[in-house]
Amino acid sequence: MLSLRKRSAQITGAVLLFLLLSVGSVSQIQPFLKLSVRDYEEFSRVIIAPSFPLSFEIEKGSSFLLVKIAIDIPFRIQREPFDSRIVKSFGWTKGRDYYILTIKTKIRDFSHDYFVIKDPTQLVIDFKEGADESRGDRDIRSLLDSTVSREGEQASAEEIQTIVIDPGHGGRMEPGAQGKYGTLEKDITLALALKLKDVIERNRPVRVVLTRDTDVSVSLENRAAIANTNKADLFISIHVNSSFRKEARGSETFFLGTEALDDEARRLAYLENNPADVERGIGGDNEDEITMILWDMAQSAYLKESSLLAETIQEELNHLLGTKNRGIKQIPFKVLTGVACPAVLVEVAFISNPDEERKLLTEWFQNNVVEAIYRGVESYIDRYARR
Amino acid sequence: MNGKKVAILGFLFVVLVVLAVVFFTSGIKDKIIPATPASPPEVEPLPAQPGQTQTVVLFFLSEEDTLLHPEEREIPADSSVVRQAKRTIVELIKGSQKGYISPFPPEARLIELYVTDEGVAYVDFSKEIVEKHLSGSSAEISTIFSVVNSLAYNFDSIEKVFILIDGRERETLGGHINLSRPFLPLYDLIAR
Repeated sequence: MLSLRKRSAQITGAVLLFLLLSVGSVSQIQPFLKLSVRDYEEFSRVIIAPSFPLSFEIEKGSSFLLVKIAIDIPFRIQREPFDSRIVKSFGWTKGRDYYILTIKTKIRDFSHDYFVIKDPTQLVIDFKEGADESRGDRDIRSLLDSTVSREGEQASAEEIQTIVIDPGHGGRMEPGAQGKYGTLEKDITLALALKLKDVIERNRPVRVVLTRDTDVSVSLENRAAIANTNKADLFISIHVNSSFRKEARGSETFFLGTEALDDEARRLAYLENNPADVERGIGGDNEDEITMILWDMAQSAYLKESSLLAETIQEELNHLLGTKNRGIKQIPFKVLTGVACPAVLVEVAFISNPDEERKLLTEWFQNNVVEAIYRGVESYIDRYARR
Repeated sequence: MNGKKVAILGFLFVVLVVLAVVFFTSGIKDKIIPATPASPPEVEPLPAQPGQTQTVVLFFLSEEDTLLHPEEREIPADSSVVRQAKRTIVELIKGSQKGYISPFPPEARLIELYVTDEGVAYVDFSKEIVEKHLSGSSAEISTIFSVVNSLAYNFDSIEKVFILIDGRERETLGGHINLSRPFLPLYDLIAR
């Protein structure tokens, strides 16, 4: 809780900080701290990225969160403009050998979760509406504990052994989107997937499995099943986009929106509470039914990791291709729902845009895309998983 | 009985009569109210009041950005949410009058629409919405959420939207977005 005295200290601190900053800005190699906020479907994420080693404590208040950062030298703050459902504003207070960052929230009932990422150091704090920490939250937290370090402790993460690449569409009946010049999505996605498999296998000691390696039709459920039976550690679905807008261009990386999972979760809870229905068998082979339900929910346990994978891949795509940033989004993609590991869907470029269609057919563009996705995967592994 | 007692009894009688009248008439009122339904039953379509209209907001695409752009449209006034929702979707499929881009294949038609008590609108489109679709993630997202947002935004009694094709559940429109569960609106996709 902030007492009045602390509040006035906060104001003095802010003034002090401002003075320090204006004096310090003369120097070029001044340490800095970057603040960014991004809203997802289910949570708002604050990323605190300092250029200096991070040592911190977090304390929760009624409608704010305090982050005490141990540092005794002035630093610059870079803040991106934001518009968030939960995060209202930031405030700073300076102590003797620490700064306190106050993250004010728009709502009183919120819960938070945080973790630390290395190289570069980032403190990631997720805000969720509602005061209660659900059981699901804790599951994800313990899961994250095993893959990223927390409060400076070194992580011991699962090794990435198998990557499943899913070339979108395929077969005579499912060509996917089609370009003005007749290019078919299924051919581009297969070409990209084969190249990506090759690049990963040449550079990393991992097994790469494709959900299809020829022009055949594979159901969306089977694509997830291939990932799960092969014990995939990462799943990357490759697609080519299409829009009603002629001008639409650029690449975009998606991970699963969980709104769609609610009903399945309820159905599973129902089956757990009504075993008689399971024994009677609802619509056939009941074991398969249960397995399908579990697989349908599988992705919900990996949303945070999937969001990080989506970010690392999109970063590289923006950087390498110089395409317009269409960002990352959470949408209920059928193919991702059943995948039991971090999973993303990459829309490489728009086949509905004649310029991009032409590009998609060229070797250099395909190689650049593959390079970008590979680098994204590499940076995800380097940051969040043990090599 | 003396005069005083008569006066008291008379007064009590008058009070009793007044109370009785208030009691019974209010009782009648209570019984009458539920007998006249607040909204007419859906099965009896009310002819639209000539001249009276209602404004609904439809969502279309624009070359400007990736968002859904609102466009107001007048539809005949009607007390039935289902009929208004149908008119909204029919107007949506007709396309923009302001030059926005329609996220529907021109051949697509609305077959049926109904709304459950739980606030789920089931919107049944003809098979052309799949067969003539562009089959890209962005195209699917814009088709789905122009429908979902247009319904949820205009009608308080619609919370979620379930999309059917030719009377049946379908996995996706073109291999991407999961249609097997109802959608909540995504207002983040709306241009402000």
